[in-house]
Amino acid sequence: MKNNLLLIASVLTISLLFTSCEKDDPIIPDEPELITTLNYMLSPANGGDMITLSFQDLDGDGGEDPIVTGGTLAANTSYVGRLELLNEAESPAESITEEIQEEEEEHQFFFQSSISDLSVSYNDEDSNDKPVGLSSIITTGAAASGTLTIILRHEPNKSATNVADGDITNAGGETDIEVTFSIDVQ
Amino acid sequence: MSNSKRLFFIAFLFFILKANAQECELSIQGHVFDFESKLPLSYVNVFIQETSVGTVTDDEGNFLIENICEGEYHLIFSHIGCEAKKRHLVISKDTLLNIELPHSATSLGAVVIHGKIDNSNTQSSLSINRQMIEDNSNKSLSGLLETESGVQLIKNGSGISKPVVHGLYGNRLTILNNGIVQSGQQWGNDHAPEIDPYVADKITVIKGANAIEYGAGNLGGLILIEPKSIGTEPHLHGQYNYTYETNGRGHSMNTRVEKYSPLLAWRISGTLKNYGDRKAVDYFLTNTGVKEANFSVKLEKSWKDKLFLDFYASTFNTELGVLRGSHIGNTTDLEQALTKDIPFFTEPNFSYTINAPKQQVSHQLAKLKSKYYINEDQIIEFVLAGQLNDRKEFDVRRSGREDIPSLNLKQYSFDTELSYTRRFKNAVKLKFGNQNNLTDNTNNPDTGILPLIPDYISWKNGFFSTLSTKVNNAHFNLGIRYDYEYQNVLTISSSVPKEIIKYENEFHNVSGLFAIKVDLTNTQTISFNAGYSMRNPGINERYSNGLHQGVSGIEQGDINLDIEKSVKNTLEYKWLPNTKFSINVLGYHQNFTDYIFLNPTEEIRLTIRGAFPVFQYTQTDARIYGLDVSSQFTISHSLFGILKYSYLKGEDNKNNVPLIFLPSNSLFGSFVYRTKNAIKLSKTVVMDAPEIELNSRLVFKQNNILPEQDFANPPPTYHLVGLKASTNVNFQTYKIRCFIKADNLLNVKYRDYLNRQRYFADDLGRSITFGLSFKF
Repeated sequence: MKNNLLLIASVLTISLLFTSCEKDDPIIPDEPELITTLNYMLSPANGGDMITLSFQDLDGDGGEDPIVTGGTLAANTSYVGRLELLNEAESPAESITEEIQEEEEEHQFFFQSSISDLSVSYNDEDSNDKPVGLSSIITTGAAASGTLTIILRHEPNKSATNVADGDITNAGGETDIEVTFSIDVQ
Repeated sequence: MSNSKRLFFIAFLFFILKANAQECELSIQGHVFDFESKLPLSYVNVFIQETSVGTVTDDEGNFLIENICEGEYHLIFSHIGCEAKKRHLVISKDTLLNIELPHSATSLGAVVIHGKIDNSNTQSSLSINRQMIEDNSNKSLSGLLETESGVQLIKNGSGISKPVVHGLYGNRLTILNNGIVQSGQQWGNDHAPEIDPYVADKITVIKGANAIEYGAGNLGGLILIEPKSIGTEPHLHGQYNYTYETNGRGHSMNTRVEKYSPLLAWRISGTLKNYGDRKAVDYFLTNTGVKEANFSVKLEKSWKDKLFLDFYASTFNTELGVLRGSHIGNTTDLEQALTKDIPFFTEPNFSYTINAPKQQVSHQLAKLKSKYYINEDQIIEFVLAGQLNDRKEFDVRRSGREDIPSLNLKQYSFDTELSYTRRFKNAVKLKFGNQNNLTDNTNNPDTGILPLIPDYISWKNGFFSTLSTKVNNAHFNLGIRYDYEYQNVLTISSSVPKEIIKYENEFHNVSGLFAIKVDLTNTQTISFNAGYSMRNPGINERYSNGLHQGVSGIEQGDINLDIEKSVKNTLEYKWLPNTKFSINVLGYHQNFTDYIFLNPTEEIRLTIRGAFPVFQYTQTDARIYGLDVSSQFTISHSLFGILKYSYLKGEDNKNNVPLIFLPSNSLFGSFVYRTKNAIKLSKTVVMDAPEIELNSRLVFKQNNILPEQDFANPPPTYHLVGLKASTNVNFQTYKIRCFIKADNLLNVKYRDYLNRQRYFADDLGRSITFGLSFKF
């Protein structure tokens, strides 16, 4: 009995020793949810060249620093702003904008500027008549320079006080995007 | 003597015995004394289950039960603070018994502070008995240990907790489930040990310097989860337990049945648990429910007291909700959450539903242990075990992806152990052995998210040897261990295009232990432990890379991390002058070289989700030291008390700053009142003396931290009061135990420093638990 036991024990121990210690290569996962790029395309209401503010971080959260491109806006002008979100890690690039549109009740963009004369208002509505922000109107005043921050909240409480007016204070939810551009108003 | 005469004589004898039995003139006489101090125990209830006849021991610990008929009986001994002891007896003549109860060293319904129980045990430890486990079965495994000195919990809300012993947890603290090192994703602070406390009859925490026999990497502490042996009781026995807790409207139930026969002894146990949203004082903690379904089988078989086989298999399956309001996107969200009185997403109504964020974890274990006695002094043991840990974590995601886990890890591990124990004359015991572990960890690529922890295989092979001996009144214990670890790690780079980078690592770790325990007098012992151990960096510490949304930071491993080294010294003094008083003081000091920790750096990294602080795994030199004190005292025959105090401090010696995320100091006190005698409800129904316990826990503010080391200041000191009333009712061979207890009786609003949920919400408000158990 004792010998049998020892034999089993040693066989098992040895079999473990010879188990392959080479791990198979992992499958690199697709990242369909990744947002690499945000483009804020501003078309002057009275015609003229389109200005694009963009934030691009192709390798996601780590690695290389993102490329952030600000812009120069004309004073006392209105622009129609359209937001485009892309996953450029996929090829061809995938539109995240569509995903937001499909779940528009669960998403809202917020715009904050350090320039007091610059205001942004919503130019779209979800099925509950609450703003989304994929389309917006930006109005500049006197010449100034500062920043514009665009925030995307997932599952905000759009019915909370002032949230529909673009005040983020009571919105809650998770931030999916928070990017800041430098802006010159000339 | 002729045959007929012989026959007559036998018949005559039989007649006498029979007559005797019919007249029921047998008696059971006995003496009950303390297992540790050997002093007589008075006021012990002695009770025959079958006849409901009972008595109480006198001042000398003696009892006498007369007028017993011949037959089979179960005798139950119960005493305040002791787990009731049951003896199976076949009575055919007057019987004399000597019964030992582990009394004075037993805290009141709580912890057994091992003193002289195991003379060779030179390491300080504490343990929790079955009744304590049953009475707290509404809690998790870790929750059971919460009030013990030197043990604290790291929590992520109320459902997820992991134990901390002397400031060490996770990779540094080994948990042994049934003798097998619990494998799982121990690196995560929000990963609770996947063990059903109902399977345990005893939970022991070893606080000494080192546990040489139990695998590499433990730097001091060890938690042992042990079911008891099925024994040799030939009848079918079992129990049903049920508890209902008001906070969370939670039901837990467990059934356990066992039977011994020479052919095969078996025990099965099954647990179901369903909890809904927990409640803080002012609001529901939305999405904090827990569901659990567990099952285990234990089989035992022995051959001629030579070979013992023990098979154990268990499955543990749980779904754990994570507070909805604690799921945040970036640092701004966190800052905002910190200012909220009521967390975001708090629903006004209670619900059992568990949505994302949540965890689904299942853990399977199978083990076979064989023990062979070559002779009385030589034992060979062989253990074979396999485990599968399957962890899925679900986050709030876009476009219906909530049903796809964000993290999905499968970890297989296989263990073998072969050891040889030899007892020599003059109390010398030598043990040596070899342990193998193969761990294979794989991410499921369907998550759509780059894995935080890479795929890897690791293989460990360790040799250990321990020697214990006794010289006069001093017990010595020496141990040495060597471990080899090989790691094959496959990381995915975050560059474009993504690449697979392979790493191969080899580590050599050595650990050693010296322990001595001196019995100064019959009632005093002093023990000293010194242990050196090495722990190679864990996979997470070297390779984790990415955004850990839960902690709102980017965690970066360092592939150049070196082995962590530690020296731990403990000094313990025990004094048990009589059965009325005992005190235990344990001081410890642990010095680390190349201590690995997650260091907040000055770097802020910009991502599309906003800016995040970068936390980098770094090494430093550090020390942790502290003091555990516990004392028990008898105020009168019916009033008993216990006090426990834990003090701990940790410092980063290189940078001269406190170590973060260490337990606060705490003080626990409990008083138990027990009516003097059992109450006879009817001829056959007896109620054990009812008990009322009032306890109180004071957890001090963690002052040993700088404001810049955390997102929020540590929460203030809090004080919780608990109340519990319990009794047992015995009839025939059955026993019913009922209890009612209130946790956070005064409904105090508080937050705990080690609870990650403290950034977002208050801790649990008042909760009342009703418990019922039925034993046969």
